[in-house]
Amino acid sequence: MMESSSLIAGTALLLLILLVATLRLLASRSLQEPPLARGEEDITEPCPDEFVSRIFSRDDWEFVRGIKCGSIERLFSRERKRVALAWVRQTSAMIRRVMRGHAEAARQSRNLEVSVELSILTQYVALMAVCAILSLAIQVAGPLWLGGLAQFAQRLSLRVAKAQESLQARSLAEAARPGTA
Amino acid sequence: MDVPDKTITVEEAYDDLLRRSLSKISGDLARLIYLASTRDYNTGKYHHDGLAAHFHADIACQALEMAHRQVFYRIAARSLQELVAEVELYINSSRQSREEVLQVWQKLEPYRVALPVDVNAAVAQLFVSNIRLALAILRRRLQQEAVETPTSWQQRSPAR
Repeated sequence: MMESSSLIAGTALLLLILLVATLRLLASRSLQEPPLARGEEDITEPCPDEFVSRIFSRDDWEFVRGIKCGSIERLFSRERKRVALAWVRQTSAMIRRVMRGHAEAARQSRNLEVSVELSILTQYVALMAVCAILSLAIQVAGPLWLGGLAQFAQRLSLRVAKAQESLQARSLAEAARPGTA
Repeated sequence: MDVPDKTITVEEAYDDLLRRSLSKISGDLARLIYLASTRDYNTGKYHHDGLAAHFHADIACQALEMAHRQVFYRIAARSLQELVAEVELYINSSRQSREEVLQVWQKLEPYRVALPVDVNAAVAQLFVSNIRLALAILRRRLQQEAVETPTSWQQRSPAR
């Protein structure tokens, strides 16, 4: 009984390590290449929701398929893939930037809440993992099947950005309070 | 001394621009190109003589910039089908032949200059990509028309 539970725990741990290693490898391969285009790296606001839906929408594909022209279908696949990858890179760059700001604010904060910090960190790790998966899946299968995952990444990035904003506001309020340097 | 409310004035200039100029242009793509053409390539500042005469040049610049961004986001949110119709409307309103405009637009991509400054990079890429697709679709339609026209002419012509 004891042996089998340790075997399960060991296997789970090994799988977790493999997953983390794979995600790191994917992130380093797919998110760093191609390099960020102009405007992608200094983005401070997430892409509006309606555009995320548009990038991953199947409606445009249905329209293109109706034209019945192979070269236009191929052009559409290539173009939409490029835009979807740009969105993933932009989201990933934005969230890394938000986390850098968050780390800065957290260093200056005097009353950090561990549970809040853990929640932000978990969301950040989850978001980076989703971005890596999205990036690979877009390259392999194209963006048209990934609308749900993209919307999830979008919601998560908004949540992390909001949490960072409130922490920053709190640290500013703390700094402005009389008696604090 | 009363300081004029700058926001209200920009709004007023914006309304004036919509009423007097933009409403007379058909199609958002034509509006986008018109608004981009009021921007100085070197300074990035917008200028419109009529608007600057009614309001201050700085206010006119802000109103033009606001209109440019709004038209851009509106057109970028369109479906590909709607965008094809929008590009078609623009090309049909041009004095040059449709084929010539399509060819030049595909080669030079002049619509890239129509992007406002500091718009979301992914949205800008989506817009450029969709225009590229719309041009390819229109070119294909034109080629199909060219193929079909002699056929229909042959069909219409009396048998010898």
